[in-house]
Amino acid sequence: MGSISKRIVRLTAAVGLLSATALPTFAATEINVIGFGAGFAWSDLFGASGTEKTQKLLDFEAKYDLVVNMEFADEEVARQKVLLDLVNGTGNYDLVMLGSDGAVQTFSAAGYLEPLDDYLSTATDIFDASKVYQPFLEANTVNGKLWGLPYYSFGAGVVYRKDIFDKYGITSFPETTEGLEQALQTIKEGLAADGVDDVYPLTMRGAPGEEPSLDLSGFVYAYAGYPAWFEGGPTTPDEIKKEKAQPIFTGDFKPGFETFVRWSRDYGPPGIATHTWVDMMNLYAQGKAVVLMPSAINAFAGIPGSEVPEVKEHSAFAPSPVGPSGKAVQSFWTFSVGVSAFSQNKDAAYKVLAFLTSEPVMRDFANSFGWPYTTYPEIMNSPTLTDRWPAEMLSQIEASFSDADPHYFPYIPELVEFMDQIGTAASSSIAGTTSVDESLEDLQGWASERMTRAGYYK
Amino acid sequence: MLTDWRFWFSVPAVLALGVVVLFPTGFLFWMSVSHWILTEPGVYFYGFQNFATLLNSSAFHSAAWVTVSYLVLSTTIMLGLGFAFALALSRPGSPGYLRALIVMPLVIPPVVAGFTWRFLLNGEIGFLGAYLLPAIGLETNLLASPVGALFSVVIADVWSRTPFMFLIFLAALQSIPRDYYEAIRLDGAKRYQEFWLVTLPMMKGAVSVAILFRIIDALNTFELIYVMTKGGPGRATQTFSLLGWKIAFQGFDFGGAAALGVVMVFATTVVALIVFRRFMRSA
Repeated sequence: MGSISKRIVRLTAAVGLLSATALPTFAATEINVIGFGAGFAWSDLFGASGTEKTQKLLDFEAKYDLVVNMEFADEEVARQKVLLDLVNGTGNYDLVMLGSDGAVQTFSAAGYLEPLDDYLSTATDIFDASKVYQPFLEANTVNGKLWGLPYYSFGAGVVYRKDIFDKYGITSFPETTEGLEQALQTIKEGLAADGVDDVYPLTMRGAPGEEPSLDLSGFVYAYAGYPAWFEGGPTTPDEIKKEKAQPIFTGDFKPGFETFVRWSRDYGPPGIATHTWVDMMNLYAQGKAVVLMPSAINAFAGIPGSEVPEVKEHSAFAPSPVGPSGKAVQSFWTFSVGVSAFSQNKDAAYKVLAFLTSEPVMRDFANSFGWPYTTYPEIMNSPTLTDRWPAEMLSQIEASFSDADPHYFPYIPELVEFMDQIGTAASSSIAGTTSVDESLEDLQGWASERMTRAGYYK
Repeated sequence: MLTDWRFWFSVPAVLALGVVVLFPTGFLFWMSVSHWILTEPGVYFYGFQNFATLLNSSAFHSAAWVTVSYLVLSTTIMLGLGFAFALALSRPGSPGYLRALIVMPLVIPPVVAGFTWRFLLNGEIGFLGAYLLPAIGLETNLLASPVGALFSVVIADVWSRTPFMFLIFLAALQSIPRDYYEAIRLDGAKRYQEFWLVTLPMMKGAVSVAILFRIIDALNTFELIYVMTKGGPGRATQTFSLLGWKIAFQGFDFGGAAALGVVMVFATTVVALIVFRRFMRSA
């Protein structure tokens, strides 16, 4: 009996000692992150499965006494998880995935995000904002405050099949939308004359929902010369309220919208009214599209895996064409990450955010995938990319960042809803369900009612 | 009643039901009369404004039309096919492997079924959409045409859910006493009269149950349409379920989405009551 008591005492002491020594491990601050694209995003930190922890990440955790818990989900699922987490104010996720096409604007207005400006000086050894392409930070700036740091980001451009352009006598890529339309017509006629019926002059995205709006808004900007959503082109809620600027979807918005729809119908594949960026990418990679625009990065995503030799050998990049206003067609987006306003560990969360968007991490991303897009000029002009891509192409892509107007659509809290309505209207017109005028009339009526209900015209 | 010990045995079940059914339903009704939009601070009583906005919107009108078309088309085809398969395979000695084959799509999740059909019908690379249909002279891209897309989601839904109808009808057919058929044959009835005078009347209850399940199922179909068309092109396949999702997760208008939820609960209840009164009572 005595021996059993001694054993119990010893066992208790051992457990106590173990607990004491293990305590520092448990005391590390845990930071929960949610994102999408397992095996693609941060694969250098979380491995190809998205569930591992590489030595690089473990070193970071050890250095700052942090534990990073990453949760990957399908993009749509992740967006909904973020929304529900923020709406309920649970703070379950310290870092949330955002996007400069709606989430940043909506969540910052709702008070769900922590402004990052004051944090920027707290971890300069990890993240230096001055070294990032400034438009990517601007894209995440709403009402003068920074709400997210950019990860995967891109500007506008065109990827096209130079061999097919050459074949039909187009020796240089057109610099204007008018010239490009003529080129597309020439290619269409050439393909038809050659009996090629499964290659399309153009691929863009026209699926219902927010999908086409990023690119379509770029057409509107190029044709109107300003973000022609509201009278006078205001881009902030205060400006819209001050001027009581009414929607102009049946006005200056129309030429760009109409062109996007016409090009999609006349030069795109038959299913374009349902196409997402994935369809664009696949069609181009399969050699079934001659031009992919204006979100050129989607072509670069498909080219490496293409089994069509001509796609790999004869793809070329060109700057986005200039519209009648003298401004180029836009497409500018950042997949950014922000700190939840409900996080219990905001300082630690920012450290992790700084690390996830830091130059070494972005360099590893560039190394892994080799796409000619990055958020740091230093990476763009280093052998990581210069060894893989022509210098001229890299400088054109760099120009697509610096020349871009990240605010080519209004930065209003209702942006996600507007993007959805605009994209659905475009899809409807591309499919022929409604004419351009009918779609825009409907959009105009909806927008007027929505903005009135939101109190913009009191 | 409170002194009856048997009453207290029912209390846990009633409480559990209250928590999992009544509370969420009550919450839904409360949300539907609340102004709860993420982009506009403050949650407050909003009267019937959410309903007024919803019922006046063109998106609601088109979703109502799409939902009814989808419901009528898919239900009619499913009932017809399910009944036909059940009739063909209800006889003793009919091959079991055929029954298994028909039931198989039921075990495939709607998301997977949606993706499968989306790839099959894709007009550029799909086996059906890009090769088989054009080979027989059908050049149209089903998923990109408004009418074609609606037919496509109906076809996918029929493929996915007809087995359920089949099982209901098979069970009902096999429970009809053989004596009835023998009796009517002795009276000199022909095959079609057997069907008309015995099979059909005896199946009334099963048909009404099947219709009831189907209506509830069709009104709530989301995943299959979402992965196949996302409600498009345009709003061509945007049913109430998809519209509700859009209002909540694209418009961040939780009050508006709840109002649509209440409309759907109301519509389902009314249709269910009609079916119940018309068929079940007389069955």
